[in-house]
Amino acid sequence: MEDRQLQNFDINGIKQCQQNRHPILFLDKVIDVDPGRCATGIKAFSYNEWFFPAHYEDEPSVPGFILVETMVQTFIMTFLSLPEHKGSKTNFLNLTNGSFRRQIIPGDTLMIKATLESLKRGIARGRANASVGEEFACAAEFVVSIRSATDAIFKKMREKHP
Amino acid sequence: MSDNIEKYMKCFMEAFPVGKDDLDGLKYQDIPEWDSIGHMNLVAALEEEFGIEMEIDDITDISDFHKGKEVLLRYEIAV
Repeated sequence: MEDRQLQNFDINGIKQCQQNRHPILFLDKVIDVDPGRCATGIKAFSYNEWFFPAHYEDEPSVPGFILVETMVQTFIMTFLSLPEHKGSKTNFLNLTNGSFRRQIIPGDTLMIKATLESLKRGIARGRANASVGEEFACAAEFVVSIRSATDAIFKKMREKHP
Repeated sequence: MSDNIEKYMKCFMEAFPVGKDDLDGLKYQDIPEWDSIGHMNLVAALEEEFGIEMEIDDITDISDFHKGKEVLLRYEIAV
């Protein structure tokens, strides 16, 4: 069996890998990262989060778009942890099969397991699956581009097809 | 109709909100969804469906529904 060294990233390590910043950076830490393959994100939600007072005042829960963003931020760590892509900006291309089955409330810690299925020409495909404890919370499949890798293609597209 | 043309049309219909009747004559930037980002979705669908990896020049040559068939021929895929 291939012996691969798993990596862990604290908040500073995450910020070296991806360009998301507060208040849009949602991950606390990312553990068990096998660059080019998989990563596990951890996010503890407390009532101090900026969105809880607004969503909703009497029944705070994490908005769905933040769950999506938290999942995709874990997903991009599967390839932004590779030295050649570290620090790159990314763009969403596709989001499919989103599934949300549990409300996430203050006090919950979300564990997101993300897998990279392919990375070709700056286009990454994969999925994330999140849970609180043993309880399934949400999942989605993603296609994300690494801008530095796709910009050359887009430039050529503009030149050929103005 | 060959299996390949069915697969080819499926790629377009996966990448863009179009039906079979819309495909003939469909060109890059004809619809808002076929922009540069949408183009990469189409390329990803084609690569996955036909098990190929296209060169950048070929990717950027796919300017319409029919041109894409010519490009696939470069990979010995007759549509």
